[in-house]
Amino acid sequence: MSQSPTTPQARFPAIRLDQVGKRFGDHQVLEGIDLEVAHSEVVCLIGPSGSGKSTLLRCMAFLEHYDQGEIYIEGALIGWEIDDQGRRRRASNRRLRQSRSNLGMVFQQFNLWPHMTALGNVSEALKRVKGLSRLDAERRGRQALERVGLLDKADAHPARLSGGQQQRVAIARALAMEPKIMLFDEPTSALDPELVGEVLAVMKRLASEGMTMVVVTHEMGFAARMADTLVFLDHGRIIARGAPAQVFGEEAPPRVRQFLQDYLERNALLIDANTEAPGAMPSSISAGDGAAAATKGMF
Amino acid sequence: MFDWTSFVHSLPLLGQALLVTLKASLAGNLFGFLIAIPVTALRLSSRPLARTLGASYIFVFRGVPLLVQLLVIYYLLPTTGLPNLSPMTAAVLALSLCSGAYIAEILRGGFLAIPPGQIEAARLLGIGAATTLVRIELPQAVRLTLPSLVNELVLLIKASALISVVGLADLSRVAQNLAASDYLFFQHYLVLALAYCLINLPLTFSGRLLERHLARSQYRAAE
Ligand SMILES: Nc1ncnc2c1ncn2[C@@H]1O[C@H](COP(=O)(O)OP(=O)(O)O)[C@@H](O)[C@H]1O
Ligand SMILES: [Mg+2]
Repeated sequence: MSQSPTTPQARFPAIRLDQVGKRFGDHQVLEGIDLEVAHSEVVCLIGPSGSGKSTLLRCMAFLEHYDQGEIYIEGALIGWEIDDQGRRRRASNRRLRQSRSNLGMVFQQFNLWPHMTALGNVSEALKRVKGLSRLDAERRGRQALERVGLLDKADAHPARLSGGQQQRVAIARALAMEPKIMLFDEPTSALDPELVGEVLAVMKRLASEGMTMVVVTHEMGFAARMADTLVFLDHGRIIARGAPAQVFGEEAPPRVRQFLQDYLERNALLIDANTEAPGAMPSSISAGDGAAAATKGMF
Repeated sequence: MFDWTSFVHSLPLLGQALLVTLKASLAGNLFGFLIAIPVTALRLSSRPLARTLGASYIFVFRGVPLLVQLLVIYYLLPTTGLPNLSPMTAAVLALSLCSGAYIAEILRGGFLAIPPGQIEAARLLGIGAATTLVRIELPQAVRLTLPSLVNELVLLIKASALISVVGLADLSRVAQNLAASDYLFFQHYLVLALAYCLINLPLTFSGRLLERHLARSQYRAAE
């Protein structure tokens, strides 16, 4: 995953964050975030609810305007322009669009357009942004739907699809634009437990194809197995990062261990209730075998 | 009681008057809708100046009585050096401007009901604001507010009875003229009332059907 033969050697990381900060009013939601995401790397952002994971991801796409530091997407500063005096100004819409063309984003709530079919959702931007003819756009749209295994649902409206299918259409919609980087914000959190697996499977395939991915997730099993790098956020700061075995390991800060402990207990309850829990988790977080245990029962 | 000869003789006139009423109010509704789209966009803009502009438009054209708008456009504007408008043009203009304000208020509710995430998704895919408005927001806003939009058309058809002040022979004016010529007031006004009902009944009815269809169909915006 970390070195895909299909990815050309790049001069800069896919994403680079330098001392990024963001406040809402006088609430400092992110502070001093440094992060690099290499091409084909899979980074999972984890941490308690309200720790700033969504805000961080949204800053990367400039859906939130970070007000300190810099975020570079494929080497270009996103959203801001810095003038001679070092003051920041909003970048032009054209430049913002250019930066964003490297990004595909998948949201917790899918955000499909309900008045369009699956194929309509997937081919809309191909027509309106890439300027493809209807025929070409639909051909490419069908290819994208095929990648997520939903070619047979091309003519269905979102309301006729299960949550898992809707999220896969949303992934196809982003993929159709051929982004270099995919951002996922809790893509399975709105799904019934039995539908989580199909979405994670699509993401897993993407990762193995060398896609650069940043994933906010509560699926610790997925994070442990798929992430090249885990980033643990707490109160707007990164308090642990590294390979899953390391972050889930013995040297983890107390805050991280507490988080995992809570997660385990919640899942243990689930397992008690269902005997078989999808997305089940490490039975132990003891050093080293945490990551291995985490994969148990995932796929 | 009911003078059938008079009624039959009045039919050609009433027919023409019906066309005038329909033409003015349907055109007014159509152009009003087209005006309402940018007004709504202004109203919901993130820029304060744009919002004020949109709100002012709605304030003025909903606040000033349609009758006054008609008089201003037809009689007053030419005195300021603007070209004379034909009665029909003036009537359509006044009805459009006025219904534009009402339709903008209706559409606003529809736009606000669309989850912002759908628009963020469009932005991230590179779809521009205008295209997002027309392709993604408007179709949903119209579906969500369809009953109110049909209701607004019905109200406009009834309000169009005022266009006779600029000299148009619409249904109301012709009925008045007929009554004045043979003093069969009750009969002619009864026919007039029935005529409005006959136009508006199918509208109201088809509006309900459409609403029920949309509620059942896969297009519905909920979920
Ligand atoms: N638009 C906003 N306005 C004000 N506060 C916000 C906004 N969005 C998020 N926050 C706050 O920022 C903090 C981080 O939120 P978020 O990034 O959504 O956390 P997470 O995704 O980790 O649960 C929370 O305290 C939240 O209340
Ligand atoms: Mg979140």
